[in-house]
Amino acid sequence: MGRPYGLLRAGFPYLKCLSMRRTTNFPVDIAIGKEGRLYILCRSDNTAMIRKYTVEDEDLGTMGRYGQGEGQFTWPVTIIADSEENIYVSDEYLHRIVAFSSEGEHIGTWGEHGTDPGQLNGPAGIAFDPEENLYVVDSLSHRVQKFTKDGKFRHGWGSYGDGDGEFNMPWGVAVDELGDVYVVDWRNDRVQKFSAEGEFLFAFGKSGSGNGEFNRPAGIDVDLHGDIYVADRGNDRIQLFNTEGRYVQKFLGDATLSKVSQAYMMTNASPNRMRDMADLEPQKYLRQPKSVAVSDDGLMFVPDFGAYRVQVYQNMAVPLTEQEFSPPRRSVTLHQE
Amino acid sequence: MSQNDVALMAHLMRRAGFGTTRTELEAYVEKGYENVVDDLVHPERGTPIDEDILERYFGSEGGYVGIWIYRMLNSRCPLQEKMALFWHHVFATGLGKNQHILASTNQIDMLRRVGMGKMQDILLELSRDPAMIFWLDNNENRKGEPNENYGRELLELFSLGVGNYTEDDIKNCALAFTGWTFGQPIPLYPHGYYAPPFLFVEEEHDNSEKTFLGHTGNLNGDDIIDIIVEQPACAGFISRHLYNFFVADEPQVPSWNVTPPQDPDAIETLADAFMASDGHISHVLSVLFNADFFKEARFKKVKSPTELVTGILKLVGTGQGPQPGMAQYGSATQLMGQKLLDPPTVEGWHTGKEWIDGGLLTARVNFAVREVSDASKPGIQDIIARLKDNGNPLSPEAFVESCLEFAGPLVVGDTTRQYLTEFAEANGEIDFRDDTAAAENQGLLISMLQLIVASREYQLG
Repeated sequence: MGRPYGLLRAGFPYLKCLSMRRTTNFPVDIAIGKEGRLYILCRSDNTAMIRKYTVEDEDLGTMGRYGQGEGQFTWPVTIIADSEENIYVSDEYLHRIVAFSSEGEHIGTWGEHGTDPGQLNGPAGIAFDPEENLYVVDSLSHRVQKFTKDGKFRHGWGSYGDGDGEFNMPWGVAVDELGDVYVVDWRNDRVQKFSAEGEFLFAFGKSGSGNGEFNRPAGIDVDLHGDIYVADRGNDRIQLFNTEGRYVQKFLGDATLSKVSQAYMMTNASPNRMRDMADLEPQKYLRQPKSVAVSDDGLMFVPDFGAYRVQVYQNMAVPLTEQEFSPPRRSVTLHQE
Repeated sequence: MSQNDVALMAHLMRRAGFGTTRTELEAYVEKGYENVVDDLVHPERGTPIDEDILERYFGSEGGYVGIWIYRMLNSRCPLQEKMALFWHHVFATGLGKNQHILASTNQIDMLRRVGMGKMQDILLELSRDPAMIFWLDNNENRKGEPNENYGRELLELFSLGVGNYTEDDIKNCALAFTGWTFGQPIPLYPHGYYAPPFLFVEEEHDNSEKTFLGHTGNLNGDDIIDIIVEQPACAGFISRHLYNFFVADEPQVPSWNVTPPQDPDAIETLADAFMASDGHISHVLSVLFNADFFKEARFKKVKSPTELVTGILKLVGTGQGPQPGMAQYGSATQLMGQKLLDPPTVEGWHTGKEWIDGGLLTARVNFAVREVSDASKPGIQDIIARLKDNGNPLSPEAFVESCLEFAGPLVVGDTTRQYLTEFAEANGEIDFRDDTAAAENQGLLISMLQLIVASREYQLG
């Protein structure tokens, strides 16, 4: 299925929240599995785990453990699922990739610390391409490297700097269905797009808090329409760009209490009273989101790092044909045709 | 670079900061003492720490104490961090009562931000700080039903000291702060801490005429603070706090109204600087660090647990970059009697010799010995490299002297030196000239450093 000629952006409403404090403290990333299963990666000082959930806010338990032993992780950054629903986690402290089955069985660990080609130095973002090769953002070496998913090095590119194809501690990475690669250039406050071979295509974004600007962006994802989603962590928001990198809209957060939160609150009288005394406006906003993930059916999942939950939005975009979408215009217009 | 210059600079950086690596120490010496002091009291000239890195690698309030220790180790404006710790001692606010980590950590952030500014601004920020308001019950201080807790401690422990105000002053001070409260934060469950905002509730404020320290009118909290900082007693009280924290151990604060300062001239010098600068703390600090009474006060203070832990970490080079597990160092200070963010009472921690008893000393020594036992740590490797550079085999006496130099420089008494030398003599001449020799004698170096950091003298800063 190719990309649509155009999109009728009918809306992108907030859908619901998942989980709460105690179950998903400091969620840093989320992987989308099969049949509505979700894998929420949580990390804070001296603890890290994967919380397995469903889109219906059902708690399926915990996978993975904090530590430095086999199959453990210390500073996990990104979690992704392959086509068989095996789970891959990058660890920027132990400089390695750890893999689990969907049931949490440790099935592999690879990665050697270093700065030579094929070695890892602070791996952050990871993403599969359509052939399930694994791109790894090697943050402290300011580069992107491509591996097979069991760790055989293919190629890589990038070096320190702020020019085209250069990076300053990059973070997130995404690969679209065509194989093009999007890298969040964290300290340069921009996103760069490359071909699968590493050829620079274009970049967008600059430092700031206006539309299309970034304050230390972190994670990224691309949907089947080619739309680009960026977790603009320092500005507490997700920004949506079209396939050319043009700003479309932002998401500041619209949270409501999740199903599990409501159940919890029904048995806790004191916080209910405190909530009644408080200004509740801030509770809906995103707090330092570090990642974003979009499903093939148009759900956008935002691990809400500082609010211990996942906010979910539903994309209502409708594909348009050439007959439904006029050719590109060079200039803006006031005509109402 | 004279030995005295190095020793004096190490003294300055132990007190005005949290210690240094040897390389940092030598760079400071090159810069010159007065220039370093001038930089220390002007943190606005530099960027203290890379906040982006903190956010990227740590970024959760639950690990705040560990992150604070990371700041202490890595701040390029260590005095700013030290002043946050100083005011945390003075304006002791306990997490045990507040149970709101974000309010408590916001208070520390506030102390870091304003702690070297004018006393007037510091007290105003403190009076508007939700953690302090809750800690001393000012959220229950209302017109017609006053709560005097904050008013009393503001005068007794935070600004003037016992004997410099009357009970009526306390009552009127409290009335002036009626209605100073905070907005109810969204509760912790289910979605985390939200910062409480300061709130002035007009209808709960007492607008009646009040008399405070001879001033009469419809005084509010701002007026009270203006009056306080004009008092010579405030200058003297804060100066004594600064002397106690930075120069030499004084008796505990509750006895200050009956026990005169050990160095009244020093207190007077600092108080004069306070009054001349309209209560600008950085000016007082500049006078303090350039004074002879400070320079001559080496090893006259018992290190606080935080100073001991950070000093050791600086020595061995731990925490120079982001790393997991920083919280363990907060646990270490707690084991030694200083649980950061949670002082035992509003008086803060009792300092000086009260930092030491049998159990606490054991915790201090165990921590220090454990930290220096890993030869792979960059600070230990640096000492080995410097011993290699020496070129010649070292006599036992020279080996002891070198280790004391690189571990401080530390001044030890004759008895301690004799023990250290006897230990070194068991090995004859000690050779670090090449990798093989260094590897053979690495264990000896570790043992010597363990003996040094376990010594009585190492407890003093």
